[in-house]
Amino acid sequence: MVYSAYWNPKNETMPRADLQALQLVKLRRLCEWAYARSPFHRRRFDAADFRPEQLRTLADLRRIPLMTREEWMASQLEHPLFGDLLATNPRNAIRYHLTSGTTGRTPIRVLDSIKDWEWIAEMWCYGFWAFGVRPKDVVYFAFGYGSFIGFWGAHYCCEKIGALVIPGGAQTTEGRIRQIVEMGVTTVCSTPTYALHLAQKAKEMGINLANSAVNKVILSGEPAGSIPAVKRQLEEAWGAKCGDTAGMTECGTIMIFECSHQPGGTHIIEDHYIEEVINPTTLDPVPYGELGERVITSFGRGFIPLIRYRSRDMVVKVPYTTCDCGRTGDIYDGGIRGRWDDMKVIRGTNVYPRAVEAILREYQAIDEFQIYIWRRADLQDEITIRVEIVPGQETQWPELQQKLAADLASAHEGLRFNIERMERGVLPRFELKARRLVDARPVPEYSREEMQR
Amino acid sequence: MMDTDLLGRSLTAQEKELLHIYQALKNLAEYDDLPPCAAHNVRKALACLWQVTNDLALQFEQLSDLGV
Repeated sequence: MVYSAYWNPKNETMPRADLQALQLVKLRRLCEWAYARSPFHRRRFDAADFRPEQLRTLADLRRIPLMTREEWMASQLEHPLFGDLLATNPRNAIRYHLTSGTTGRTPIRVLDSIKDWEWIAEMWCYGFWAFGVRPKDVVYFAFGYGSFIGFWGAHYCCEKIGALVIPGGAQTTEGRIRQIVEMGVTTVCSTPTYALHLAQKAKEMGINLANSAVNKVILSGEPAGSIPAVKRQLEEAWGAKCGDTAGMTECGTIMIFECSHQPGGTHIIEDHYIEEVINPTTLDPVPYGELGERVITSFGRGFIPLIRYRSRDMVVKVPYTTCDCGRTGDIYDGGIRGRWDDMKVIRGTNVYPRAVEAILREYQAIDEFQIYIWRRADLQDEITIRVEIVPGQETQWPELQQKLAADLASAHEGLRFNIERMERGVLPRFELKARRLVDARPVPEYSREEMQR
Repeated sequence: MMDTDLLGRSLTAQEKELLHIYQALKNLAEYDDLPPCAAHNVRKALACLWQVTNDLALQFEQLSDLGV
């Protein structure tokens, strides 16, 4: 059977004018639905003096108020458990998931109907098909299958495609490696961090994964999937092509994916989303090629309408012509580049964890790392990079320490980074979203009067 | 039955057939006396046909009033 290169050739190669016309039709209907059914959206639309019938062109999108995670969390606290965002009766739900808790203390709780859940898998199909997953593939999910939505939708996507799906939940890393080899797995799905860990562990077990049947590693869950040094390491260790995807619990699935042409970025699924990029301070749209904050409107979930939601993700949008695959969906160059709220200020210099990771990953002798921020004598902020060295490469340490400190300083306006070597196995390893940033600075304590002011 | 997609373009024969099946499943989902095996599989099938017809820009609507 000869397959199309596109999951949905009609829309994925649609001229942009048609794509935008389709977005406008869907946006108007979504806003009508949200206004009629979701008290949360109705209240916010009313407060902004916005009505769905005001949407005459796509530019009218900016009349809609931006939505934040804080508003969502406040709504959940005021109307437990799900807030007043729901546009339908919770009895219609078949799935419950919640955020992994990277930001904020209150997790975002989501419900999905049969149709919404099927749509979640459908979005993964756009991405997996574009990266070359076909019915002949054997797909392994190195994923814990818990309340975090993670790769759940991708699992059902692969069933829909007709691939053989191997759920790798509740297993040791060694057990997973053995299963990947034994079952002739062709496609592995994992976070970038865990894919690196699998490769390292396989090496310790005397298994060269580059000799296995794996030819695709599909990444999600962390920005590192689009860091060139990480990708290079993974592709070398696995002897396979690595493709990035990114999604969020708030929309339930992925909104961007890397196609098999690997253009150095991720295509936006624009027939199912409107993705704006704004200046996080002025809230004005930013042009192609400039760093900004990703704002998402999703046409998928009817249960929880997601309209102009501020993601806090840092992205740079470039035109679809950057890639020669034929898709007309624009691209986020370098995928998700980090989060605005991840930024740390150390002695007046902005430090972004992903930028630090990009430099660290250029050093193949570094096995694991942690970015540790602390305060010296209650006065001066310090940043220390704690590293573990790959066994057998310990002799590189003195030179690595000096060169790494210089590289990091050079990329951060001369900021001094302390580099500390840790014993092997001391630093935590991660299966899901890695948390390699530890900010140990004391939290300011305020008096009750100050807090009430 | 519509003759055009969401952009006002004429439907192909296949698209007409898909929309026809989608509508037939919606009609079936309206019944409240279907046996459980029919009621639930019809809803599952309707959720799948919603994806196809939505992907192809043939419709964009919500189905929660049908429990889908």
